[in-house]
Amino acid sequence: MRADWRLLCALLIAATAVLWAVPFLWMAMASLRPGVPADIASLTPAGPFGLSNFAEAWRSGSFPLWYLNTLLVAGGILVGQLVTITAAGYAFARLSFPGRDLLFAMFLLQLLLIPPLLIVPNLGTLVSLRLYDTLPGIMAPYFASAFGTFLMRQTFRAIPRDYEEAAMLEGASIPVLIQHVLVPLARPGLIAFAIISVTAHWNEFLWPLMAVSSPKNQVLTVGLASFASGAEAGSAWGIVAAGTFLVAGPLLVLFLVFQRRFVSSFVFSGIK
Amino acid sequence: MEPITRRHAIAGGLAIPAAAAFAGTAQAAGTTEIDLFFPVPVQGKLANEMKSLVDRFNGEHPEVKVTAVYTGSYDDTNLKTRAAIKAGQPPAAVIMSANFVREYVINGEVDPFDSLIEKDGKTPAAYMDNFWAALKPNATVDGRVYGIPFQNSTPLLYYSVDAFKDAGLDPDRPPVTWADWVKAAKAVAKPGGERSGLMFPATYDYCGWITSALVMANGGQYFNHDYGGEVYYNSPSAVGALTLLDKLVNQLKAVPPGVSDANACTSAFFSGRTGMMVLSTGSLSFVRENMKTPYRVAFLPKSVRNAATIGGASLILPKGNTPERQAAAWTLINWLTSPEISGHWSRFTGYFAPRRAAYDLPEMKQYLQEHPDAKVALDQLVYAVPWFDTYNTVAVRKAMEDQVQALLSGKTSPTDAAAAAQKSADELLRPYVEQTALKAVG
Repeated sequence: MRADWRLLCALLIAATAVLWAVPFLWMAMASLRPGVPADIASLTPAGPFGLSNFAEAWRSGSFPLWYLNTLLVAGGILVGQLVTITAAGYAFARLSFPGRDLLFAMFLLQLLLIPPLLIVPNLGTLVSLRLYDTLPGIMAPYFASAFGTFLMRQTFRAIPRDYEEAAMLEGASIPVLIQHVLVPLARPGLIAFAIISVTAHWNEFLWPLMAVSSPKNQVLTVGLASFASGAEAGSAWGIVAAGTFLVAGPLLVLFLVFQRRFVSSFVFSGIK
Repeated sequence: MEPITRRHAIAGGLAIPAAAAFAGTAQAAGTTEIDLFFPVPVQGKLANEMKSLVDRFNGEHPEVKVTAVYTGSYDDTNLKTRAAIKAGQPPAAVIMSANFVREYVINGEVDPFDSLIEKDGKTPAAYMDNFWAALKPNATVDGRVYGIPFQNSTPLLYYSVDAFKDAGLDPDRPPVTWADWVKAAKAVAKPGGERSGLMFPATYDYCGWITSALVMANGGQYFNHDYGGEVYYNSPSAVGALTLLDKLVNQLKAVPPGVSDANACTSAFFSGRTGMMVLSTGSLSFVRENMKTPYRVAFLPKSVRNAATIGGASLILPKGNTPERQAAAWTLINWLTSPEISGHWSRFTGYFAPRRAAYDLPEMKQYLQEHPDAKVALDQLVYAVPWFDTYNTVAVRKAMEDQVQALLSGKTSPTDAAAAAQKSADELLRPYVEQTALKAVG
């Protein structure tokens, strides 16, 4: 009986995995088929196959520049966030000050705002900070993260106070304490947050489209859209698929390489 | 006509450095830097073509340095332009979906071209005569010029010769009336989804565009072009057009149910899974390059009259730019809409050239001879009708589109759809109507 259940579960999970993989498989297939084949929807086409779509997609844009910019943006945001969420998470978890819970609730309220609502005010701020049309301008609104602060607060609270008390007896100051005691213990939470943050900002389209104009500041998603979107006509699916692979590729590889670590971080931090 | 722009360019190139030399206060380099926002409504390689056009412009005009900024779809471009204007960083020029122009005027976010045109010694009316008359309604508001047509389209009926022959129809005689059309769709459709009779994109924007063409072909107006506060969604002509769709989709099953996008239509057309499709003239080049079997194009069939909705994009001048930037943008706009460039862009994309003189050039005459499908698009211009533009255009457009999409999924009836669309459109228009038509006088 028990074995039956396990088998059923395994089958269900396998079916879900296949379902989830179909778009990727199709994308892989389409990207390898030059031209605009008539049976483009087929998952088992006869061919011919080739890499010309990748060559064409690569030629269509400045991918090296877009990779660099996206890396700088996603990386820059992450570095900023790790500092602010660790500090803020610690403050909300451990320090007691008047209005702490109210402040924390207000912080969380941010999660309710849909980002497009803030585009115009944020652009206004960027202009007055002279960050309009710069990479730091794309990053600026994300340096603080309500979700990250919440996550770190919960992570810190789950760590027994004994460690901190021991360190304090040794004369550690709060910065030293955070850096040498809490951060190592909270690493799984930080990694889980890093994955979410990098994925979100790597894939983000609307805000980078709004915040920068110069071609030299363009990021991958906006660049991809310049040859992938077609409102009044059909798209050359193969080239779109190849371009999408070029954009999503680094993240896919990263995930495959660090899969085990990522999964254990998520399990540890309780994000599912 | 065509040498004028050239001469302009040369004169401009000489005049500005000379002026800079006399007036020592002018910028050292004597160049005005401007940005042009542009969407890519058709296919990716157009983005590169636009960049090479702008490079060419910069080479020919040392006094202006244009940066071409790709800004996504028509809707994204609208969003980014509006946000940039609000943030005090307006682009010097934008290629904007032609039906958004009116809203920019209502919101006071664009400058008219009239004074720039007059400075060149022309009247705005004479200037607009350079373009096809059908384009004027979406480019002018209250007698002033706010948009210079750049790339324009109308919906066309594309049909597969093989599918017509297979269904026993004469490919030389495409459907002319709605009755012919329904008959042809029925004949071409094969049961079980093997081949549909007809497909058309019903995603947002496209849906409203095609619906308005059908309503107007049925004799209606669809919206009040002279006043942005009225739409005629619940009129007999609209109900009749919706009934046609209902019949094709839900009764005859000649059109696949639900909402298809342009990509689904072209994919089905290329693979012989639909015998006809309604698609923009802007897709001509894409279809020509990728359709392996013979195809033809025809006018959109008529009920009461022929009607083809104008689509495409115009160049606009966002408010808040310095006179220098506006003058530089004007040089660019004149160049982009010159007969030579207009014709070049038309041949590259499939859009028809808005500039009439483009068709007097030998390369354009040759192109039309080689590609009779492009000629059909041009001939249909006689029946062109203006594109939907009202206050709060996108939301009011969607009021009808949501109903059409529900109808295509078999969830509503033509009369209910028309009534519901009218009701929500009226609500959306009310703030504007109360400020304008219903405002107490005195």
